[in-house]
Amino acid sequence: MEGHTVRTFDGDILNLRMRVLAMGGLAIDQVQRAVLALVRGEDEAAREVVGRGAQITEYGHAIEEEIIGLIARRQPVASDLRAILAVGRVATDLERVGNAARKIARLSIELHGGGERTPLPHFYSDVRKMSRLAVAMLRDALDAFDRVDLAAATAISERDAELDAEFHLALRELVTYVMEDPRHLQSTVHTVFLLKALERVGDHARSIASTVPRLARRDEAEAGAGAAAAFSPTAARGLEPPAESRIG
Amino acid sequence: MTTDMAAPDSNTRTSVPRTRVAAAADASQPGGKIDTRTVGQVTVADAVMTARKVNVHYGDKHAVKDVSLDIGRHAVIALIGPSGCGKSTFLRCLNRMNDTIDSAVVDGAITLDGVDIYERRQDVVQLRARVGMVFQKPNPFPKSIYENIAYGPRIHGLAANRAELDEVVQTSLQKAGLWEEVKDRLDHPGTGLSGGQQQRLCIARAIAVDPEVILMDEPCSALDPIATARVEDLIDELRQNYAIVIVTHNMQQAARVSQRTAYFHLGELIEVGATDQIFTNPRHRLTEDYITGRFG
Repeated sequence: MEGHTVRTFDGDILNLRMRVLAMGGLAIDQVQRAVLALVRGEDEAAREVVGRGAQITEYGHAIEEEIIGLIARRQPVASDLRAILAVGRVATDLERVGNAARKIARLSIELHGGGERTPLPHFYSDVRKMSRLAVAMLRDALDAFDRVDLAAATAISERDAELDAEFHLALRELVTYVMEDPRHLQSTVHTVFLLKALERVGDHARSIASTVPRLARRDEAEAGAGAAAAFSPTAARGLEPPAESRIG
Repeated sequence: MTTDMAAPDSNTRTSVPRTRVAAAADASQPGGKIDTRTVGQVTVADAVMTARKVNVHYGDKHAVKDVSLDIGRHAVIALIGPSGCGKSTFLRCLNRMNDTIDSAVVDGAITLDGVDIYERRQDVVQLRARVGMVFQKPNPFPKSIYENIAYGPRIHGLAANRAELDEVVQTSLQKAGLWEEVKDRLDHPGTGLSGGQQQRLCIARAIAVDPEVILMDEPCSALDPIATARVEDLIDELRQNYAIVIVTHNMQQAARVSQRTAYFHLGELIEVGATDQIFTNPRHRLTEDYITGRFG
């Protein structure tokens, strides 16, 4: 599909989407590092995750400002407006993923530093499995968003059910654990929060995937056809001649 | 109905033998099936004007192709599209302004209150009183403000005496939101007003002959943003009493002032729908590409 007559508008939208994808990369990294710090018991690494949380928030603010600027300057309508607002929604989800990573890191510090026996090591395999699922979902959701891939986006909500099932399984085990030894109630509650944070990452991945259908342009004449790649930075990159000579 | 604009009374053109009865039958079926390629609902429940299968040729140029569209009462419909798409030509069909262009040939059926406006007995002057027009550039007569408004009612015999005429002038200027600004200088020349005031004077002049429909061809393109805002505000008030058809290149203006929007492309009516729908969820790719600024 051809770009806008005002070519700088294409560049603005592309920049915005690239920025949110970069923010996504950071959010994924934060979750992975938080989980690694947790299972390795590395407090320093966990503190780094907490410290880097502010970067994600800054990304979120910058994207919001860019969106406000684009709306004010370009008065986007129809698919452009949807695409721009979808980026805002993705950024909000990613901020919350960042919060979840920070929460995991904080709980990790608390659980490892408490000195008391915690049920946590028994659940490392659950944590790892949930984290693998959640991070893969998040990565695929961002990829589907990038490529405007409706099929991939739809598949993600099915995978969220798998993550939820893992969470509930772990929860049942934790209940059994605390019933056997009620002295560890507090650390068990912390462990629940931690697993819940991972489960929330999956929810945000699903939320990001749910924006994809809104990016696909509608056309009665081509109903059902994948009117997709129009908004994909990757697709645009693939087609893109040098910026100066880019065809609108 | 077939009308050759060059010779309105001739029967030389016989290609589309539409009758007034057939046109009226179409018009009586709002929501009924209309033979059209246009995406969206071309009919409305309360139509003051109907156009069916309208074609306009300028010599070899086919400027408007098979356009069918209803104009609803008490509503603003915006006609948008790139230059040369036929929107202004179509607008000009609605009060037979194309009659003034020798090479223009109009086919199809257009009704006002169910009556064919291209019928031979139709008094065109009378028609243009009922379907008024406001142009891109304000064009007040080189006369006083008062005379600009009074001219129409006088020639159409709408005022029995001076007092009645005074009242028509005042009411028209009030409806056009201009009264407070000009009431103390009605004898001043209309051409001495600012651009925005002149345009509202032209709107008052159209209102003075008590029209049913007001056609506006780019009414704000020569105005500054404040004058534009005042005219847009006026358009919104006027729709309580009139049907308004506005041609505009300013898509934000179409979005602001209209309830329905019709998108024209290369002489065809591509899509028509509620303005909210057109600007948020256009159904045709061409509409989407145009309103998002991908061509045009």
